Amino acid sequence: MWAYTLKRVLQGIITVWFIATATFFGMHSVPGDPLSGERASTEAIRANLEARYGLDRPLGEQYVIFLGNMLRGDFGISYTQQNREVNDIIREHFPVSATLGILAVMIAALGGVLWGALTALYRNRLPDYIIMFLVILGISVPSFVFAALGQLGLVGLNSAAGRTLLPVAGWGTVSHMLLPALVLGLGTMAYMTRLMRSSMLEVMSADYIRTAKAKGLPMSRIFTHHQLRNAVLPVITVLGPAIAAITTGGFVVELVFAIPGLGRYFVQAVQQLDYTVIMGTTVFYGAFLVFMVILVDLVYSWVDPRVRLQ
Amino acid sequence: MTALLSVENLHVEFATYGGIVKAVRGVSFDVEAGQTLAIVGESGSGKSVTMQAVMGLIPMPPGRITQGSAKLRGQDFLGRLEMDGRTICGDEIGMIFQDPMSSLNPTMRIGDQIAETLKVHRDYSPKEAWKRAIELLELVKIPEAPKRAAQYPFEFSGGMLQRVMIAMAVACKPAVLIADEPTTALDVTIQAQILDLLQDIQKETGMAIILITHDLAVVARMADKVAVMYAGQIVEAATVNELFYESAHPYTLGLKQAMPSAESDENHVLEPIPGSPPDLFSPPQGCAYCARCPWHMQVCQTDDPASFRLSDTHTSRCWLQHPRQPREVEGLHRAESQGVSKPVSDTADQEVSP
Repeated sequence: MWAYTLKRVLQGIITVWFIATATFFGMHSVPGDPLSGERASTEAIRANLEARYGLDRPLGEQYVIFLGNMLRGDFGISYTQQNREVNDIIREHFPVSATLGILAVMIAALGGVLWGALTALYRNRLPDYIIMFLVILGISVPSFVFAALGQLGLVGLNSAAGRTLLPVAGWGTVSHMLLPALVLGLGTMAYMTRLMRSSMLEVMSADYIRTAKAKGLPMSRIFTHHQLRNAVLPVITVLGPAIAAITTGGFVVELVFAIPGLGRYFVQAVQQLDYTVIMGTTVFYGAFLVFMVILVDLVYSWVDPRVRLQ
Repeated sequence: MTALLSVENLHVEFATYGGIVKAVRGVSFDVEAGQTLAIVGESGSGKSVTMQAVMGLIPMPPGRITQGSAKLRGQDFLGRLEMDGRTICGDEIGMIFQDPMSSLNPTMRIGDQIAETLKVHRDYSPKEAWKRAIELLELVKIPEAPKRAAQYPFEFSGGMLQRVMIAMAVACKPAVLIADEPTTALDVTIQAQILDLLQDIQKETGMAIILITHDLAVVARMADKVAVMYAGQIVEAATVNELFYESAHPYTLGLKQAMPSAESDENHVLEPIPGSPPDLFSPPQGCAYCARCPWHMQVCQTDDPASFRLSDTHTSRCWLQHPRQPREVEGLHRAESQGVSKPVSDTADQEVSP
């Protein structure tokens, strides 16, 4: 088990290095640089700035310097936000994105498993049809629509109640998180519902379920002890990619709900070719996702004994 | 005296897109404590469906039990699966299945799978149930039982898993054990071990065994009584000796001719039964075996044969057993004096013409 974990961590480090390298060269091959903004500047100023930031050196040398700094955990200073260290930006805004993202993933996974199991149990009956219709809606409607509709609904609800049940936007308390997390997790929840439904249907007709029935176990016990654990395996498999999709895709939702997350900096940095912020956020997100995927795999091996020991 | 388990006139149907399949059409049998009843028949003859219907395991819908009763010690439990506060399945009647590899939950420890039956039916504490599970594993001769109990199905071989299934099925000391082709998925040497094990446990506990199989060798070795099923009906029921030495139905004869024996030399040609079983969407009006029977008569096409009694333990659903039927069939056992062979049901009173 420990050897397996160690192997996965080493693989993860190589993956992060690969992400960093690919992003570095990809970013530098885009025309322009952080200094080619709309502010007019003379050749002399530009040359000075390039020398100050080290942009005049050959790309290979820049890469080696970047790697050295990265190993020390230093991503440098933002080009566009004067005197702000990339590390500070991450430290300040990532916990917000992570909290929102993990809450969203939890809502998505729990909801997906619950609704999926329910539709399978009520296969081809009314609850199944209703939930599967909502699932199609959840998969095909983009999150900003749900975000706006959710806010609209909240405004109506708050004014009807005469007080603020849940804040419409902003950040700070758990009540701020609920609606955005739900909206953010909705698409993934819909996807997981479909996955859980088909997996559950397969498990329901499995031989070992017939055995469980022949043993005379009550339906509730068959559901909790025999069906759920086996049916949930495919959902756990997609949990890793789902975390990736939700944490990086949270940008739109963060914007609509005025949440000070990392997503905004991520997108702005790419637009403005803010090299250091791009590198910092990408490498950090990459490392975070690799870590989450390893964690999911370890959880998987705990749920399914067949993948242990390997 | 009432039999331990008796099934009477059981009818099972399945509603499918193609229409209604009449899978079981009036099956009756009974079994006593300590006895082994073998139900034989080809695939699709309804042998598994019969027992699954008794155990309440067929999915409803599409399945439906339209008629019949299943009585344990004289009390009907069909469709209720509970009697005097005791569950029938897993408690009074245990069941093991064809493919042990897929019949156990892959994500649950072996010991837990055995123990949960005891927890549910006998209110054992988790600790007691686990202890008893290990004893049961020892009963089915699994070495290092305490260690094995903590393992998962994928760490066991097929034969070992079938032993686990048996341990699970007999955990609550059932009165009847239903074994649905228990050795079909196993290789021959393991088959013999599993059959021995079943017989040992039967001797010890006196439970009845209902063995579903298509292997006549297994029948000869295990059974006291045999019921031969064809197209959802029992065509011949007899003691094992009567069935093999005094076969009284053309289908049984056909099966015997299709089976290699130790005496036959290498040039002996096995004779398959020509044709295929009838379409159970619309079962034939007369005898279901008529189209494949080399000795069929006119009456066979129009009238479903009655059940004829050859002895107290021997019945055959074939018009050739009618006292006034004119044919001589080689190898077919008939009641010695014409008068003894009497129809069980009243439809057989009519004239029989060749």
